[in-house]
Amino acid sequence: MFYRPDTFAAALRLKADHAAAIKPISGGTDLVVGLNRGQSLGVDVLDLTAAKDYRRIDHADGSLILSGGTTFAQLEQLDIACLARAAASVGGPQIRNRGTIAGNLATASPAGDGSVALLALDAEVELAHADRGTRWLRLIDYFEDYRQTALGDDELISHVRIPTPSALQASAWYKIGKRGAVNISLVCAAAARFLDGRICLAFGSVAPIPMRAVQTEKLLQGQPLTGALLHQAAQAASAEVKPIDDWRASADYRKAMCAVLARRVLEQLQTDDERQMP
Amino acid sequence: MNQPVRPDVPPSPTPYAAPPHGVVGQSCGRLDGATKTTGAIKYGADLFWGRAELFVKVVRSEHAHAEVKSIITSEARAVDQVMGVYTHNDMPGTNLQGLILRDHEVLTSGRVRYMGDAIALVVAESEATARLGADAVQVEYEPLPVIDSIESALAKDAYPLYKAGNIMGGKRIRKGNVDEALAGAAVVVTESFETQSVDHAFLDLEAGVACYQDDLLTIEAPGQWVHEERRLIALALGLEPEHIRIIQPATGGAFGGREDISIQIYLGLAALKHPGKTIAMRLDRAESVRARHKRHAMRIEYTLGAKSDGSLTAAKVTVYSDEGAYASTGPAVMRKAASHATGPYRVPNVSVDVYGVHTNNNPTGAMRGFGACQMAIAYEGMMDRLAIKLEMDRFDLRIKNLIQSGDEVTTGQHIQVATAVECAEAAMGKFREVNGGLLVQPDEAHLRRGFGMSVICFGLGYGDGFPDCARARVAFDDAGKAVVYTGGVDVGQGLINMVAQVAADELGLQLDNVRVVAADTALTDESGSSSATRQTYFTGNAVKLAAEEVKEELLDIAGAHLQLHPHEIELTSGFARAIHVPGKEIAIKELVAQGKKRGYKLDQQAQFKPGTLCEDFDTGQSPRSFVTYLFGAHVSQVLVDIETGEVKVERHIACHDVGKAINPQAVRGQITGGVAQGIGMALMEEVISKKGRILNGNFTDYILPTIKDVPHVECIVLENTDPGGPFGARGVGEPPLIGAVPAVLGAIQDATGTAPNILPCTPERVWRMLQDGTNA
Amino acid sequence: MTWHLECTINDAPVTRDIPEDLTLLDFLRDHLGLTGSKGACLEGECGSCTVHLDDAPVCSCLTLAAQAHGRSVCTVEALAESTTLDPIQQAFIDTGAAQCGYCTPGLLMAGRTLLDRTAFPEANHLLTSIEGNLCRCTGYASIIEAIQIAANESKA
Repeated sequence: MFYRPDTFAAALRLKADHAAAIKPISGGTDLVVGLNRGQSLGVDVLDLTAAKDYRRIDHADGSLILSGGTTFAQLEQLDIACLARAAASVGGPQIRNRGTIAGNLATASPAGDGSVALLALDAEVELAHADRGTRWLRLIDYFEDYRQTALGDDELISHVRIPTPSALQASAWYKIGKRGAVNISLVCAAAARFLDGRICLAFGSVAPIPMRAVQTEKLLQGQPLTGALLHQAAQAASAEVKPIDDWRASADYRKAMCAVLARRVLEQLQTDDERQMP
Repeated sequence: MNQPVRPDVPPSPTPYAAPPHGVVGQSCGRLDGATKTTGAIKYGADLFWGRAELFVKVVRSEHAHAEVKSIITSEARAVDQVMGVYTHNDMPGTNLQGLILRDHEVLTSGRVRYMGDAIALVVAESEATARLGADAVQVEYEPLPVIDSIESALAKDAYPLYKAGNIMGGKRIRKGNVDEALAGAAVVVTESFETQSVDHAFLDLEAGVACYQDDLLTIEAPGQWVHEERRLIALALGLEPEHIRIIQPATGGAFGGREDISIQIYLGLAALKHPGKTIAMRLDRAESVRARHKRHAMRIEYTLGAKSDGSLTAAKVTVYSDEGAYASTGPAVMRKAASHATGPYRVPNVSVDVYGVHTNNNPTGAMRGFGACQMAIAYEGMMDRLAIKLEMDRFDLRIKNLIQSGDEVTTGQHIQVATAVECAEAAMGKFREVNGGLLVQPDEAHLRRGFGMSVICFGLGYGDGFPDCARARVAFDDAGKAVVYTGGVDVGQGLINMVAQVAADELGLQLDNVRVVAADTALTDESGSSSATRQTYFTGNAVKLAAEEVKEELLDIAGAHLQLHPHEIELTSGFARAIHVPGKEIAIKELVAQGKKRGYKLDQQAQFKPGTLCEDFDTGQSPRSFVTYLFGAHVSQVLVDIETGEVKVERHIACHDVGKAINPQAVRGQITGGVAQGIGMALMEEVISKKGRILNGNFTDYILPTIKDVPHVECIVLENTDPGGPFGARGVGEPPLIGAVPAVLGAIQDATGTAPNILPCTPERVWRMLQDGTNA
Repeated sequence: MTWHLECTINDAPVTRDIPEDLTLLDFLRDHLGLTGSKGACLEGECGSCTVHLDDAPVCSCLTLAAQAHGRSVCTVEALAESTTLDPIQQAFIDTGAAQCGYCTPGLLMAGRTLLDRTAFPEANHLLTSIEGNLCRCTGYASIIEAIQIAANESKA
């Protein structure tokens, strides 16, 4: 069956009732690619694109609350550097018009650009159930293992909460791909510095999940970003990630790139800081 | 890189001022432009609509190398809506295919040699049921050792893929005394290069329809040579060619990738088995990548010797090329690689050995550049290395050694009009227009800018004594329009405009008074393949010859009407005009009507068959291996991130001497498109396989250059008339790609100080190269 | 299972019972005979299948036809008004941007969006607007030129 509810509440109801027997679809970048390769859907389909209340962006208490159905095209317009740039690096405009942040989080690809940027923003994700209500999870606790997350079979991702631009000092993004656009990252990195001085650093394509470099972050807390510290952080990041060898890139290269990218995104934070200071 | 530097897109072109008469040399819009922009034109898969009745799906091998022990089709036959399942036992003809050697079974009877080998054919009422049927065919294999690389094929105890072993054949060139010359050389440079397997990746996947009715098998599917396809289909299916009609639908790119026959024989077999039904078949991207031939991956070992003043004295070249499972056009690619081993340089002592090595990878065959492309990477890479060793300027070293008119190339052929120097100077001149050619290095310590150059030559046509001929017919229809008939296929390169413009110019017509009937074996004569950069030269000439004869008739009719000698009349802008008497004229349309009434044929055929001479078996020498040569030079400027290995092409200049640009816009399109493919080959494209299984057989993973990867290409089109070409034209198709790759590689070397020798230069390879001093 | 689809295609209302797992691309091509939109990769990498869904360019190969329910779809077939070509179509012809032509419909739809949304597209916008469309023939030069010319026409 194909379901096309026009409210998110109705979608939640369907998901709660059908659990694993129904798969949500928005941009189709996962499900329909499989279909085109001759795989059958096998389950019912829950189309979330008719739910108009699932594409909202709201402000609340220094946070931005993004509906799960927020598209990359919408994210591109945000005034949050790492997320906007990460979103702009996803596919071409056709994909960004349809792909959603919930889809990115639910698919949980280790290379998910949106996931990496949100991790650096220390975002929280709201998982919703029609009867049990909602629960907020820090994104760092959401990704569990390769394409496994805390999202229950009977739940949908309702919202993502991130700091507003004003609650954020600076953020940065860098992605290495094999060409100038429409890339799956070989390695990508995002970093954010918050008003309280906290720095978060996240990487994609270097572990089974989009990962936060928590060990490296510890080094950085409360310290001025000197050249020596950046160097130390770069080495720590490289040591912390757990990439694999595959035909896209070797583990060696990915590790080395984590050092380079860690330094670059952290330097970028610093430059942005300086720019903001008169 | 996140902040790409890219020159602004070019300003809009100034409107082209049409010359007073003649359409050769004009950038006439495509005759099929309107149908291509409205979506009306029909490519292979578009023919399904309203016509397809039965669908074909091929069962392909699950092993790269195995003995097929049994094929059980009973379950597949039982699938609902499956109308037939066929194996080698059902093939009415030889069941063999192959452009040069008939070495490849259409449906495998015994041994599969790569994962694209076809085993059975399922015909069903829908694509979905055909797929279900294909899944239900049970094949029992006895796996054999898989040879997945040149190295493993050449290993001492390697499993022999054929009775004769794993070496398919070779080609050699011997000129002078290389060993002596190298021993006496002041400087010797040795390097080895590895080029990669590349997919043609045309967007329009193999698709078409077929129907067998009234003893005629009609197949509408895209290829590159309809008449040869007819011969091959006839052979495989045991039909007479007269009972087969091939019609080429609109075709979305080829680049050599449609030279080997693709779906046509399967369509034909299904049509024969289900007479009266319209059969449809298409490959999806994964199947296309899995089944179709690729560009040869080559391992090239090159030693170059020179005097201390930089004059080249000797080149010793050994090439191992991965031929894959079957010959395809490999033997010809090997010959072309050998004959282009030293490119446009004067090298008195040459020794070349090219070996084709069978593996269980995809067959390798034609792709834009055809062996000459890989060699240019090597010889231009060698020139850069030699320049460093000699501490000479790269440009000066090249100029010093480039052939001049009258000099000979690798095969000993003397080139009448050699314009390599002119091309090189024009390209460098253009490059130096910005800041005198001095590069400004970026402020960021991790970014390095550099430029590279290449000069290349290319023998067009099949060459090497292979029969190469084009025929054409030019006739006036009853509406007074000139119709050009050619067997040549337009795969997107613009053949239709080329022949129309040649005929229109010759006949003094505007382009809208010409139409073209192309690539239909029932209506057109053979014009040879759309490959080898040959159609402008060959079919262009044939069309011009036929048009000249029609023109003679027109002048004769006009002479009678205007009471003038035909020599006093010119055909221009749709009129026959008295050259010396203003106002005395008659419309060509009127002449045609009069002529037809008075028994003029106004319908002429012509053939162009210039002929070449075989290269000597032992020495590879031939006084005329190719009908003519093309020259080109590129300069490329790149920005390299030395920490990440990312490379951005910032600027690219391409100069090509095309003899005469029949349609300058189309020529520029070929150049910019070739450069884009060259950038793809240099930086990102690579078919990656493991044990014969392709790992990146889709566009997510086999990546092509996007708009963000290709800079605004600065084209320089030189027009040094070719004595034998139509209106002096030579051609343009392949050289732009050939020139682009080494220029980009040279730029990476210039930027980083380390010369790449393994392609493509992905970020990781460049990074590794900078870590280790080599990108191995 | 079938889905009762009601939508607008090229300004005409369309009502059909369709398979739920049918893609919009297959619906257009195999059910309506609108073969202008092309399939080339079927995974959102090449843009050949680009159509407008409520004015936004999308890959029709990744959109289920049922997802177009209640919405408006526009394909390359609707760009020209009877025999008058859209300026972007004419520009593609004039600059030689349609070589083999297979990527052309998708590029026209992507380029048309840019012109609809931006009166004075900057070079960078222009490039980004078609970064999701692959062309294997032209090297993109003539395509950029064509979209610029069409933009200038639209301004005039």
